[in-house]
Amino acid sequence: MAPYYSPTAILTDAQKAPTTFSLAVPALSHSPLNNNSGTPITPATTLDLPLWLAEMLAVSRPSGPASAPLATLDMPSALGPKVMNALTADSTSVELRQQAQWFYGLGERMLELFEDEEMGAVLLNTFKKRALEIADKAQNTRTAQQGGDSGDFMSGLDETERQLFRAAHDGTHTVKRWFEATSRG
Amino acid sequence: MAPPLPPGLTPSEVGFLCEMEHVTVIPRQTLDGLELLGGPTGALKPPFPTPLPLWLALLLKKQRRANITPPPWLSVEALTQILDFETDERTAELFSPSPNLPPATTSAPLGDAATARAQADALPYHWLEIGHLLITHAADDFDDLDAVRKLLRDLREVRMSKLRKGFEVLDAGGGVKMNGVGGMEIAEVRGFVGGVVDGLRRLNRSREESRKERETEERENGLGSSSYRDDEDEDML
Repeated sequence: MAPYYSPTAILTDAQKAPTTFSLAVPALSHSPLNNNSGTPITPATTLDLPLWLAEMLAVSRPSGPASAPLATLDMPSALGPKVMNALTADSTSVELRQQAQWFYGLGERMLELFEDEEMGAVLLNTFKKRALEIADKAQNTRTAQQGGDSGDFMSGLDETERQLFRAAHDGTHTVKRWFEATSRG
Repeated sequence: MAPPLPPGLTPSEVGFLCEMEHVTVIPRQTLDGLELLGGPTGALKPPFPTPLPLWLALLLKKQRRANITPPPWLSVEALTQILDFETDERTAELFSPSPNLPPATTSAPLGDAATARAQADALPYHWLEIGHLLITHAADDFDDLDAVRKLLRDLREVRMSKLRKGFEVLDAGGGVKMNGVGGMEIAEVRGFVGGVVDGLRRLNRSREESRKERETEERENGLGSSSYRDDEDEDML
């Protein structure tokens, strides 16, 4: 389980996934979930709910274990077939950040809920390929900052990848600093 | 909650530790043996070469009280040979092997990796740091400084590109054999490699769990023959 104090875990869980209600929920009508519109939630309403809530709704069975769940969780569009196809075609050209800020965290949670071998394989492959690209970009930060060819790629990194970039860059940077510091008197 | 320190040694810590390695010094002045925390040092009597910790040797060098004899592997011939090994087609996949381990002793925790008695055809663990410190602070003790400096830089670049190739084969559960990588090189890539492996592991977790479940189920149903399964488990470990 993710550590309780980890902001990463909290932010990952706050990402939204479409949830379709299969029961009417009148009490929720005035909640912020429903844009305060006042209309009660009827069956087949689809709302974008944060993962932590959507997950609880999807596994809860209000009228006994044999009944239908309160709501069903759908695959978020960030992990939809369109994105998966684009990632299979060329993983480095997709702007993951546009899809979800914590793309891999979202993928990880969805893989726990849905058994989808294919999506898992695509995500693993994407992560590997993009990590290599990040390692190369981290060697030369000037191109990354100025934009240029790599600007698109850099702005499309999700948070996990940004942390990787930072780690790679910090490693090279501290080694360089040590060399410089020891060269002086 | 304070953010935890990153695991492992940072490059500056590795650089600090490398100064504990012994180098061979040719003293110019006499000095009695010192009782240091790291153990007593031998008395300095010119012109007999004596092993000293690198930090002390550099200090004496700065005060012009001693000359440092570069270790054998820091010569043009040895570095050229190692560089040839690193770039040779047949061994291009490998890092040049680290020196043979000294016989186990209880007295000296640090070997002769950087003294005049060091093995000439192998790079020790702290090769990058010691090489750098010696060519910057004991420059006049080298016969052919420019060539050594150039060879060191070449070696570093060749080995960095090999490390980079190693990134390509990182996997969620697998290990990568990277024998012979130096301390500074490890410290440099630790954050990145750790991050990649962790990310891969997290993405792979659900698949791994379902695989394990399937396996236990199969075992309970008596489908898998036990000896075959055991083999696979060992591979995973």
